[in-house]
Amino acid sequence: MSIDKPEEFDLIILGRGAAAFSAAIKASELTSGQATIAMTGTGPLGGTCVNVGCVPSKYLVEAAKSKIEGERQTYPGIIRGKGSLKFDELMGSLRSAVESERTEKYENVIRNYPNIKVFDGRASFTDPFTVEIINGNGRESIRGFNFLLATGSSPVVPDIPGLADAGFLTSNNIWEINRIPGRLAIIGGGFIALELGQSLQRLGSHVTIIKEHSSISKVMDPEFQMAMINTLQEEGVEFLTGVSVLSVKRTATGKVLTFASGDRKIEREFDEILISRGRKPNVAGLNLEKAGVEFSERGVRTDPYMRTSNERIYAAGDVVDQRYQLETLAAREGSIAVSNIYSPEKMKIELNLIPWAIFTEPQYASVGLTEKMANDMGINCTCRTLKIEDVPKGRILHSHNGLFRIIADPENGKVLGIEILAPYAAEMIMEGVHLIRNGSNLQDLVQTTHVFPTVAEGIKLTAQSFFRDMSKMSCCME
Amino acid sequence: MAERKVRMKIFGMTCDDCVRTVSEGLRSSGASDISIDLKSGMASFIIDDSRTDPDKLQSIPVFSGESHYKGQVRNVD
Repeated sequence: MSIDKPEEFDLIILGRGAAAFSAAIKASELTSGQATIAMTGTGPLGGTCVNVGCVPSKYLVEAAKSKIEGERQTYPGIIRGKGSLKFDELMGSLRSAVESERTEKYENVIRNYPNIKVFDGRASFTDPFTVEIINGNGRESIRGFNFLLATGSSPVVPDIPGLADAGFLTSNNIWEINRIPGRLAIIGGGFIALELGQSLQRLGSHVTIIKEHSSISKVMDPEFQMAMINTLQEEGVEFLTGVSVLSVKRTATGKVLTFASGDRKIEREFDEILISRGRKPNVAGLNLEKAGVEFSERGVRTDPYMRTSNERIYAAGDVVDQRYQLETLAAREGSIAVSNIYSPEKMKIELNLIPWAIFTEPQYASVGLTEKMANDMGINCTCRTLKIEDVPKGRILHSHNGLFRIIADPENGKVLGIEILAPYAAEMIMEGVHLIRNGSNLQDLVQTTHVFPTVAEGIKLTAQSFFRDMSKMSCCME
Repeated sequence: MAERKVRMKIFGMTCDDCVRTVSEGLRSSGASDISIDLKSGMASFIIDDSRTDPDKLQSIPVFSGESHYKGQVRNVD
């Protein structure tokens, strides 16, 4: 009996999402297309972001925003009426947008790299140099010198009696629905819950977000969390906090949730359930023990160079044990990992410079430290907060529940972090990234003229509030 | 002094001139008995580890800065 010799690669990437693509392309660039690369994984190319994450969720967010803007009476004299919705048509267009994005930015792109071979199937280590790929056609072993773990994450599904029998949606499969749920229970209140909750409420659902804790995030400042919750509540989203779901039961008319609130047991019927308890790193089944890679249920441990406990094996993206799960971070880490494999100049990931956003309306965006993080870390800081109503463009937009906050070093005024809850916050936060990256201080910001009237002027006004009484300043005052 | 045999994978070579450039770069960084296979990109050579740190071979001038050649140590005996 002959045994085929396993195909050999310079780099084997476990995963086919943002981190994997970024790494494979960067490795190809660095090696003049000569590194032989294998990418393994299941499901459509592109991973979470393009297929079930950022792309479909932002499509839904923008569609819902378009509907509500058409109905909202913002300015006197502009008469608007209630629009109608063909939800199945909207979801069909969403799926087409996803398919188009995947085709253009992943499937077509990978064809330009003959040195990259894509494998279908789940890979697991059989020794530190070999992975076995299992799919419907059987098993195949391939060998590599370097490896990148980029297997991403999956929705956390809580162990609630009756949930599986009753059926539920997650952020992985909600994109397949064609009928909008009338009464939607969202169990968990993370970023996905907030974005999808607000969007589906705007499109016609009655959304109830059910949370055990009253906070949205471990890093957002409480004032921002409350402002965001207020906005969603004003739009009709119901928050049930401090409750835990005990069981779920399917009935003839819906799905009944029983939850505990203090000593009381409450039953409520919903038409559909969306689970949004965050995402867990995909480490199960990789057999990382055989490769000498340290990990826990929180993910794979890496150093700032994205190297694992095995010096030939790197990790990037949601599978890494770190505080953020972001598409942009995954792509950055993938690129850093392979740069450190092939280039003598070593690069580090700096989480402090990674901006992130929640695409509710108003949007929330942050970079660097929040006041809460600084306090938790024992870092001395000084902060100022400005309301959106104190920004002329905010008043023109009739915006409310918005906030700007700058966190600075009290010794030298260096900007340590910025939080924004305002229209266009995700676009504006890049100013904060450059401020922190360049080591700029509050005076640098104050001495930089901003366009008037813009929402971004709020960043400069917040910096000015460290030095001046804002109520005694005229418009555009330098 | 200890002689060490090194195997290195070289990326970015496309012709015999590249092989000569990389060989010269390795030689000027202390390598001897250099043999490079253009097709596989594999190089093997001898270093004196009291003069040349095998861990720093990836960052010798021929593989650094603007150079489009990249080298990766695969084995040191």
